[in-house]
Amino acid sequence: MDFALNSEQEMFQQTMRQYLESKGGTGLARQYMEGQREVLRLLWSGMAELGFMGVNVPEQYGGLGQGPLSLVPILEELGRVVAPGLYPETMALAVPLLEMYGSEEQKQRYLSDIAEGKRMVTLACHEPPAGRFAAGDIQMTAKKEGEDYILNGAKTLVPHGDQADTLIVLARTAQGSAESGLTLFLVDRETAGLSARVLKSFDQTRDWAEVQFHEVRIPQSQRLGPEQAGWVLLQEGLKHLHVALCATMVGGMAQAVEMSTEYAKTRKQFGQPIGRFQAIKHRIVEMKLDLESARSLTYYAAWALENGAPDQEAAIYSARAMINESYIRVAGHNIQNHGGMGFTWEYDCHLYIKRARALENYLGSPSLYREKAAVALGW
Amino acid sequence: MDFSFSPEEEKFRMELRQWLEENLPEGWLEGKVTLPEDRFERTEFLRQWQRKLYEGGWAGISWPKEYGGRGATLIEEVIYEQEMARVKAPPVLNSIGIWMVGPTLLQIGTEEQRKKYVPKILSGEEIWCQGYSEPNAGSDLAAIQTRAERKNGRWVINGQKIWTSYAHVADRCFLLARTSNTGKKHEGITAFLVDMHQPGVETRPIHQMNDQYDFNEVFFNDAVAEDADIVGEVDDGWKVGLILLGHERVGIARWVFRLQGQFEELVEMTKRLEQGGQPLIKDPFVRQRLIDYYARTKAALYTYYRHLTKQLKTGHPGPEGSMDKLLSGALIQELLGYAVSLQGAYSSLWREDALVNTIWQNSYLRAFGHTIEGGTSEIQKNIVAERILGLPKDVKF
Repeated sequence: MDFALNSEQEMFQQTMRQYLESKGGTGLARQYMEGQREVLRLLWSGMAELGFMGVNVPEQYGGLGQGPLSLVPILEELGRVVAPGLYPETMALAVPLLEMYGSEEQKQRYLSDIAEGKRMVTLACHEPPAGRFAAGDIQMTAKKEGEDYILNGAKTLVPHGDQADTLIVLARTAQGSAESGLTLFLVDRETAGLSARVLKSFDQTRDWAEVQFHEVRIPQSQRLGPEQAGWVLLQEGLKHLHVALCATMVGGMAQAVEMSTEYAKTRKQFGQPIGRFQAIKHRIVEMKLDLESARSLTYYAAWALENGAPDQEAAIYSARAMINESYIRVAGHNIQNHGGMGFTWEYDCHLYIKRARALENYLGSPSLYREKAAVALGW
Repeated sequence: MDFSFSPEEEKFRMELRQWLEENLPEGWLEGKVTLPEDRFERTEFLRQWQRKLYEGGWAGISWPKEYGGRGATLIEEVIYEQEMARVKAPPVLNSIGIWMVGPTLLQIGTEEQRKKYVPKILSGEEIWCQGYSEPNAGSDLAAIQTRAERKNGRWVINGQKIWTSYAHVADRCFLLARTSNTGKKHEGITAFLVDMHQPGVETRPIHQMNDQYDFNEVFFNDAVAEDADIVGEVDDGWKVGLILLGHERVGIARWVFRLQGQFEELVEMTKRLEQGGQPLIKDPFVRQRLIDYYARTKAALYTYYRHLTKQLKTGHPGPEGSMDKLLSGALIQELLGYAVSLQGAYSSLWREDALVNTIWQNSYLRAFGHTIEGGTSEIQKNIVAERILGLPKDVKF
């Protein structure tokens, strides 16, 4: 019985925390919010230098060949500072998808690039006008023409869709049954016919983009996995991404608990630190319980995924729903504990509630995830 | 990260599981037999179970072998609780004696106390109760007022205790009484081993909201104790009282594992109960709620395992136990409340008229005690706040 990270994983966490602190912590997110887009690349190359871009990339492509659990401590730290960027999508979606379903050529090219910190990858699956993501709502087409595919349509809510080097795109290659007519493609940014527009979101630490595909021509070698298998393959990859998102949320919650605790110790009213008042004190304890529950569920979900446990889907999806709702609650309490200052732009509290809400309906919704967990349990 | 148990530990588990299968009362595993309602029949049932555990070598497993135990490791104690929870085993009547008094006497008792009291604990020959709380000293335990005065070479005890489980059948009481008043309430307390059968001790049952009488008020009217019955030093009893409480290493494991089973039973119930022509488990609202409980039930288990991992490394439980108590206490109440609620119009019917099984209604009402006994949730939250988060102690006026 040993339910703890191992010493290497703990070291990842320490290293990541020190690195991000040295770069100003949430200062990174704030710089990004003020328009300093280069923060993405700076963070990316910084993490590459630390070796964090190869943690779960197979060794023959330049990585450490570790599993989802090893990403968790790194992702927690990124979530702690609401870091902008595509680390979850790249490491916890692109890497597993390529590893499981990529051609040798794709693996050689993309996995090595990723491990060297040269390639940011994102996911393009939601579609306008309503941002829907269900299989039946995917209308972007990928039509075979000779040795190529031609992509036409639009995607929305693409994280950093204007800056990613490569987009993983879900498109329709056959009509008929919703789920079985879809295929995954790897589309590099330089490909002609792409145009992206960053959407206005109240979470300015992570951009959503609407990406138009107008007669985008890509060679067949850019197809990821077999035709018509895209939905099923994507679901497999998303298991990894949801675990990763949970880990970032745990990090955000951890920071919120620390902020509230620190403020309660130092802010004085009525002649004493407000942490003496049980209303504040007990609210922070509730936050701490939410945090540790979320952390426990994330560790287990990552472990279950890494070890092929039969309850992995129930674990991942029930965690995804519960943790996001906990994050929203904890972030809200954090504002409340800070009184008037919690309501200011200057204090970091608002960054967390905004990120929590932005993630809530990314790739689904808490109700959808709970239903997926119920189905996974055979109910 | 590894959740497995060693082959020896699994062997231990199977040995216990088999013994339980062979020794639990007939019909217990099938849920056909439950604890008797009448309080004396109930305690008689529990006394017999205590005896059976002892004869099977399954009472006080963490005790040293020379005192009748197995010298069980922490993990073995955890497995023991897991297996007991799995079959919803009857409670241990002499839990105070087995888990607290016995180990305390082995640790800091006199040789005479060890010889006199310890051998009769495991078999249940002498049942113990715990005289701590008073009407005016619950969460504020140090405010106890039951006093012990030295008169003619013995100690004369006057006062009242409350919430004393099984006092009505107890032979001995581990009592905290005030022996001096220095003005500092934690000082001047002494721990006594008191004979419950003497004329100066009277018990009165407390009628609980679940229509049971497991708790009592205990009145001490010139009851007596000897010097030889003091554990530790005079006026040093607060420390002794804490040592006693500290011996229970796996109390929280019991709740956490019970919770897992209760969740499973709730799910089973929703598969069998129908509403609107379909099993409840097909109702989308029920599914959403159940998955939320699934996540929280697992969270309580995994968080306990994280704390257990730490306890295995440090060798002793930490304040994290308060977090485990908070998580499982609140959740058990919600789960049981939901289970009752789902039974529809007949949800408040119990005993022979219960729709599914009176265990739901019985457990639901009993569960209100879980966030109060063993340290209220408010106290547990203060422990988490002060000892884990480092927040300052409460305002004092």
